[in-house]
Amino acid sequence: MAAPMKSVGSSFNATSFQKKTRSKLISIPGTRPSVQNGQLIVSTGVTSLDYLIGGGLAVGTVLLIEEDRYNSYSHMVLKYFMAEGVLCGHELFLASAQDHPDDILQELPAPILDDIASHSPLEGRMQLGGQHASQDAMKIAWRYQNLPKVQTALASSSRFGHYYDISKKMEPEIRQAANCYAFYLPEHPTESSATRSPLIESYSALLQSIQEVIRKGGFDGAAPPSKSRNVLRIGLQSLGSTLWGDDLCCRDNPAHGHALTTFLYGLRALLRSSLSMAVLTIPSHLIQNRAVMGNIIRLCDNAIALESFKGSDRETNPLYKDYHGLLHVRQVPRLNCLLTELPDHKDLAFKLKRKQFTIERLHLPPDLSETVSRVSRGELAGAAAVGTTCGTSSNKHLDF
Amino acid sequence: MLLELIQGTEGGGLIIIQDSINYSGRHLLMSFINAALKRDEVVHLLAFELHEEDLKHELDHSCFQRLTFHNAFQDPLGWNEQPPFTVHQFITKELDSLLTPTHLSKPVTLVIDSFSWILRHLSPPSVCKTLQRLKKGGAVKTTLGLLHSDMHHRNMVGSICHLATSVVTLVPGHQCHEAVAKTIRRAKSGTISQAEERFSFNEDMSVKVQSQPIQVGAPQTDAGDAEVDPTANLTFNLRLSHQERKAKEKLALPFVFSKEKKSALLHSGPGSGRILYEPDANDDYDQEDPDDDLDI
Repeated sequence: MAAPMKSVGSSFNATSFQKKTRSKLISIPGTRPSVQNGQLIVSTGVTSLDYLIGGGLAVGTVLLIEEDRYNSYSHMVLKYFMAEGVLCGHELFLASAQDHPDDILQELPAPILDDIASHSPLEGRMQLGGQHASQDAMKIAWRYQNLPKVQTALASSSRFGHYYDISKKMEPEIRQAANCYAFYLPEHPTESSATRSPLIESYSALLQSIQEVIRKGGFDGAAPPSKSRNVLRIGLQSLGSTLWGDDLCCRDNPAHGHALTTFLYGLRALLRSSLSMAVLTIPSHLIQNRAVMGNIIRLCDNAIALESFKGSDRETNPLYKDYHGLLHVRQVPRLNCLLTELPDHKDLAFKLKRKQFTIERLHLPPDLSETVSRVSRGELAGAAAVGTTCGTSSNKHLDF
Repeated sequence: MLLELIQGTEGGGLIIIQDSINYSGRHLLMSFINAALKRDEVVHLLAFELHEEDLKHELDHSCFQRLTFHNAFQDPLGWNEQPPFTVHQFITKELDSLLTPTHLSKPVTLVIDSFSWILRHLSPPSVCKTLQRLKKGGAVKTTLGLLHSDMHHRNMVGSICHLATSVVTLVPGHQCHEAVAKTIRRAKSGTISQAEERFSFNEDMSVKVQSQPIQVGAPQTDAGDAEVDPTANLTFNLRLSHQERKAKEKLALPFVFSKEKKSALLHSGPGSGRILYEPDANDDYDQEDPDDDLDI
């Protein structure tokens, strides 16, 4: 007979089976080891992007997003990254020179959680249960009354990668449960350093701030092992733009040509020695110097570029009508290995739907015009014709 | 969309008018100023390229009286003593002190006649910082600037336009008195909308838009799967009246048990994935492992 087992942890297990956990691997909620190389990875918040960069963003690496022209989609991806951190219970660090980080955090999209027995007023099942929506009065589904409620948002992070609804904002209760460090450049006191370092003041202040947060939060392993480990998600918005004090975007020969690259080098050093990862966006369409841009890409582990169709003549091009823009993968990391898993297809396009940010292979839509030559009925034989569908008008083949 | 910008219905921000040598944007700038003055707003003009006398010809006399004119044409770099306004005064502290002694109740519009002097003599990061403060801050509702796109480096123009809420790019039209304005506006929600319109000027400096604008902008999210009430426009009735709802509640459901039976069934429920098995008399339940005597 099966002996009753006292389950450790939550006492609401429906079964009494317990997975035997190996205590050697550190298990931080929201992370998992990669199936490719065993690195600890986290989800970026966009599941299609996770697939492209090898399952997820490895802890200790940098993801560079080259912004689209009006910084709408790259900002969205940054918000997805932060929202994923809130849901998984990670700590956040958000730095911006343009918008206040608190404003950015208030615009995080709401997660889509599928709770079966939740008592939220949005669930239609509660309406069936009658007008008196009290706890004990489930009229039809009363057998489920005493079953434990499916856990709240924070605990449902056992799933890797969530979906978000961008038309709704994240609830303040969920958001405030996460610990966020903010760095807003106009409010940050910058003392002008007299040293000859190639960094400019804003970047050195940012780097020092990140270092301090890592040290204080114990992400670099200095904390005693009794405290539970957590990871730090760093989001840097529009680095390299003129609001950071850098004239990289304005001139071909900037005065501080190496400021941004030195900062990235220092940032990567900080990240490799701690449990943190960074996502940064750079307005690369304003940087004309290809050499500098190449250096910046090499210094970041993962790099993707978003190119949106809005404002360009591609918007009306019928080839691209299903998508919002193109996505180029500039670099995929090689962490502790010689080869990487490259994506099979290089032409990728993205589309921002309300509940999902999809990245798909760009394929040409079927050519439905009249001038396409029709194969004769004898040759057709089930082979994939060049995009002809039977719905178009071709009178010659209609003999029954 | 150009008319809406001129009327100021959009709520301000940073508006950049980009012109070139082929078509000057000064007329459009003056019509913006005219419209703002007619709306009884406080307008400050930093004129780097226009003398006061020339300005009097462009605007109405009554409007001109209410315009606060800062003469930056005379001595922009401050070579003589007591310059009226210099380029180096274009920083947040000085601008705030310039703009505060006005009526605080009325919205303030700051018009910069041309960015050329500013971009030539001040460093781009500080200019961008000042513009960002103006865009965010409470003193000025709208900042309007004229930018000559062919006088500056492409990246500089790009950086300034990157900060802007709306950008109007002017090119000459096919007819001599017409021009084409391409407007790109970034709403607070992040939606980008753009329009291309042909316009010309009336006698009183107001703008007349000739053709229908080509609205190319689309909302960022899929508006199709927004909340559309599926119970509307149906040929059958999906709603319940008050009587019907009462009758529905009174209906006895098939598996409604009495309260005792329910609680009895419920309280044996929780947490039991257990199989409690008592071996029967006929069962041959041997505790020992039958393979124990195998010698491997």
